[in-house]
Amino acid sequence: MLKIVSVGLTISAVPLLNNITIDCPRGSVTALMGPNGAGKTSLLKVISGEHRASQGRVEINRQSREDWKPAEIAQFMAVLPQSSTLEFAFTSEEVVSLGRTPHATGTVRDAEIITAALARVDASYLAQRSFVQLSGGEKQRVQLARVLAQIWDHCESESECEAPTDGILLLDEPSAAFDLAHQLMLIDIVQQISACGVTVVMVMHDLNLAAKCADQMVFMNCGHCTAVGTVTELLTPELIKKVFSVDAQVMTHPLQGTPMVVV
Amino acid sequence: MKVLNTRLITPRLCGLLLLIALPLISLLGLMTGPVFIPLADILSMTLSGDSGNSQEKLIIEIIRLPRVVLSLLVGALLAICGALLQGLFRNPLADPALIGVSAGASVGASLVIVFGSMLTANGLLLGLSAISVGAFAGAIITSVIIFRLATGPQGTSVATMLLAGIAISALAGAATNTLSYLADNDMLRRISLWQMGNLQGASWDRVGLCAVTAGFLGLLIPREAGALNAMLLGESEARHLGVNVEWLKRRLIIYSALGVAISVAVAGVIAFVGLMVPHLIRLLVGPNHRALLPLSALAGAILLVAADALARVVIAPAELPVGVVTALLGAPFFLWLLVVQRRRS
Repeated sequence: MLKIVSVGLTISAVPLLNNITIDCPRGSVTALMGPNGAGKTSLLKVISGEHRASQGRVEINRQSREDWKPAEIAQFMAVLPQSSTLEFAFTSEEVVSLGRTPHATGTVRDAEIITAALARVDASYLAQRSFVQLSGGEKQRVQLARVLAQIWDHCESESECEAPTDGILLLDEPSAAFDLAHQLMLIDIVQQISACGVTVVMVMHDLNLAAKCADQMVFMNCGHCTAVGTVTELLTPELIKKVFSVDAQVMTHPLQGTPMVVV
Repeated sequence: MKVLNTRLITPRLCGLLLLIALPLISLLGLMTGPVFIPLADILSMTLSGDSGNSQEKLIIEIIRLPRVVLSLLVGALLAICGALLQGLFRNPLADPALIGVSAGASVGASLVIVFGSMLTANGLLLGLSAISVGAFAGAIITSVIIFRLATGPQGTSVATMLLAGIAISALAGAATNTLSYLADNDMLRRISLWQMGNLQGASWDRVGLCAVTAGFLGLLIPREAGALNAMLLGESEARHLGVNVEWLKRRLIIYSALGVAISVAVAGVIAFVGLMVPHLIRLLVGPNHRALLPLSALAGAILLVAADALARVVIAPAELPVGVVTALLGAPFFLWLLVVQRRRS
């Protein structure tokens, strides 16, 4: 679905990304991890089209990213940035409704989707509140509802999906402002939509949270891709030491059997 | 948690109220002036075509009606362009002066006043005096310069545009001051009066020019409402929502430069309408551009007709420049709004 082929990015003579190759099959969840300044957000920006790759290419559905029209891509790819700078007093409901901008599905269907998206992120009670007055975590949930609304048709059960191509969701540190319950809610949403065929790429710092839902982990450092593999392959004390310069123990979750990093 | 709705009225109600106010204020505008014309006379004139008083009929037809219509159009243009620019800059305090239009227009007008005395004696172009043509040219030239300065290989930077606008406005201000220094007493008076804005020069030619511009922009601008809403989230967010941000910015800058330049050309610099009206409407009905753009146009039209009517009666038989009235009324009102807004939040 989404292929990153030997991508390099240089901005103002500063190399930010170097020969990155990642394959994200349809419905997979990829977690980009690494220390600050490793190039995770830059890679996300190359995928989202904000930066044009200096070398290599990004393929969406076996077609080069450059060949897609922005309006087409917006119908199946949504991007959640790290933080929002909205300073106008939209209600939360209106913010979510902006996610329907690329679609012409009509106000009735849009209203259904907006209500459902707000409910999905546990923010129905915020619908009529002014966005600017919300807390950081609440804002991020409303923004998450906005990007979900944008690709909602791809997030429901497979049979209903009539879109020409499957959905892609890019998340940049989505859980940074969330409390524990909402971090788990995010994992649940990611698992559910990937099961419906949406390809998810997310930047995360919490190794354990990522381990819960990622099919594939990517360790990045200084613009290079240090390691790509499954959670079990990557979460080893040696690799964590190499990438994050942290001494860590890896244990097994007593119930779920997934690896767990303890520092 | 308590539900807080920050809106005061629905867009529909706001639109209805403005649509009721518009003809009433316009009638008031027709009635007031050095010669008071009673409502009954205006109604009988329009309804039966019969004019009991030919002098009143002349005043209405030649002086007041074009002036009221021109105020409507200029007010609507200034307000809708203000709303557009506030959306583009994602700053509720942006106003048309920011893209250098007003300062550039002042230079153009002052140049003509000081050096073009032979021109002004000549005929008019589309009902515009040479001063208006100078103002229009100055306005367009400065906006082009500022737009060019802010546009690089990475696209147009709205932040650079803001800074360039401030710098170019300062430069243009210095140029106007130099011209004022060179000017004789009569020229000086004309320059400063022009900068205060007034609608005395209203004529049907000017109304036509403004009507064409307003009609053109009135068709094009509301189509950008959805994209402008997306822009409020941020430029990259708008891009991810499928908006072609670079072209959108270009279109918006062209529309607002054109709208403001035309209104400055026919009416001089009128302060505060472009800043205050969209701000006020946003407080009433929220920032959704689908409602904000048309409602701002309506409210701007009403405000300017009312201000102009007031300008004609305050020190009658003399007139205050309408820009003075909008600033005199607008600034305290705006401050009051800010205080109320702070207390509520």
